[in-house]
Parts: sequence; structure tokens; C-alpha cells
Amino acid sequence: MKTFGDTARINGSGAFAMRITISDGPLGVSWQHASETCEFLGDVFALHHAKQGADYNEARHSIVYLVNELLENAIKFRVPGTISVDCSLHQGNFELTVSNDTEAEVASRFQALIEEITSRDPGELLIERIEANAADENSSGSGLGLLTLMNDYGARLGWDFRSSATGGAVMLSTHAALTLN
Amino acid sequence: MEIKTGEYNVWNEGSIIHYEGTLRLSGTDAYQPILELMQQVLAEKPQNVVLDLTQLEFLNSSGINLLAKFTIELRKHPDMPVKVVGSSKIPWQSKSLPNLQKLHKGVELVIV
Repeated sequence: MKTFGDTARINGSGAFAMRITISDGPLGVSWQHASETCEFLGDVFALHHAKQGADYNEARHSIVYLVNELLENAIKFRVPGTISVDCSLHQGNFELTVSNDTEAEVASRFQALIEEITSRDPGELLIERIEANAADENSSGSGLGLLTLMNDYGARLGWDFRSSATGGAVMLSTHAALTLN
Repeated sequence: MEIKTGEYNVWNEGSIIHYEGTLRLSGTDAYQPILELMQQVLAEKPQNVVLDLTQLEFLNSSGINLLAKFTIELRKHPDMPVKVVGSSKIPWQSKSLPNLQKLHKGVELVIV
């Protein structure tokens, strides 16, 4: 297994937690699943957080943005199979893990990108990559979503890659943690 | 000019470009029609440009990249005032819009 970034988990068995599994079925996994899943999790976890007197709107938005970005990546870069989304919340610490299978070659390109975007200050890198992206018409802007999460939301991100049970694919888990106000 | 889908609407009134709803398109290609609308406003050589985001509840990172790309295009017109208007009720705007000022010093950011 290869690990990058911050994969430490703090929330334990006392946390409010939920797992959603998006399965490939007759209808297939589509872009729409990212928005429906993130809106649902945003509602449920922000309501729970607001019971402690916190700002519902702010918490809901941060959760929706984070879950949406990681699910968009999972849907874009996965191979057919299940995507699992694990969320937990304890005393304002929101943790998320999104897991899916991806091709070995995609995984290795992604590892190079992760090494680059975790090597320096995310704010500087975000601006540099936006500039580079604007100068190159064919650029897809990869990494900008992760840098936005790190810089604008203060998200702590980590990744692990392991051999998947399904043949030549790699199982990627992306971990994120956010402190909700 | 207008792009209206119900989930999101983008239209202009002169040099004011309005955005409304939830924008989470899948990438640069999907955002191209919106970028073209913005570029057409610029092509008419307006005296100023206003981006009104006060009704844009959600914008994914590909959409933020679209705003960033357009901001970089606006730098080619250093004398043209640019105003970006956001809402304090929509959290992504206070978090991510200040990046536009880092790209172009001429951007006036107003969060109402």
C-alpha cells in the first residue's frame, strides 16, 4: 500500500457516522449521483452539527462542496464498480473517505499529481496552476479542485492506494477532514 | 444573451453578467458555452464588466476555474473596471472569490 498526505482519522465509535454505497446497477453510475449524494449528506450532517448550536448554512455548504469534489473525481476516474462514501462527525470534526477502483496507469499519474500539490503552500500552487491552465487551451485543470479544498476550505487530505480484489485495478481511498465552525 | 436550464441560468444585461442557481458541470468543455457568453460581452468592448454572483448558490471547482480563466482574459484590458459581486449568505463566495483578486489586481470584489 502507498500512502500520501494526511490519512489520520480521529473520529471513533462515538461519532455520528454514515456509509453510502453507490453501486453500478442497471441504471449505471452517472454525474448526477455526485450532486444527489452530496446534497443528502450535507443536509444530514449539517442538521446534526446545528443541534450543537453551530451555523447550519456554513457547515452544509462545506460538506456539500467537499463531498461533491471528491465524488466528481471518483466518477471521472473510476473503473466500473462500487464507490463507497464514509462520513463521520464528532465535535465539529467532519471526516470523509471516498473509495473506488481505478486503472493502474491512472493511479500512477494521480500519485505524481498528489506529490506535486502536497509539496508546497496550496495557496501559491493554486494561483500558479490556474495561470498555467489558462495559458494551455488543452489543459483540464487537474488538481485545482483538491487545491481549492486545501486552500479555501482548510481541508486536510490524504490518499492510499492498494491492489484491488478485481484484477488489474488499484483501489484508491481519498481521505478528507474538515473542522466545521 | 442567455443560457437557461432551470438548474442554472446565466444571462447578461449589457456588461452585467448574472449567474443563478447551481453550477456543477463536468469540466472545461461543458463550461464552454458559458465562457463564450462571457467572451461575447467582452467582445462588445464595454466600459466596465460586472459579474453578479449573488444568486449563484453553488459552483464546483471546474466552474471556479472558468471564472479564473475569464479573469485572466480581463487582464488584457487593464483600464477596464471589473466588479465581482458576491453574497455573504453563500459561503463558497467569501472563501474562493478573493483568489480572483490575486489573479487580477483590477478586480473590485464586493460581498453584500
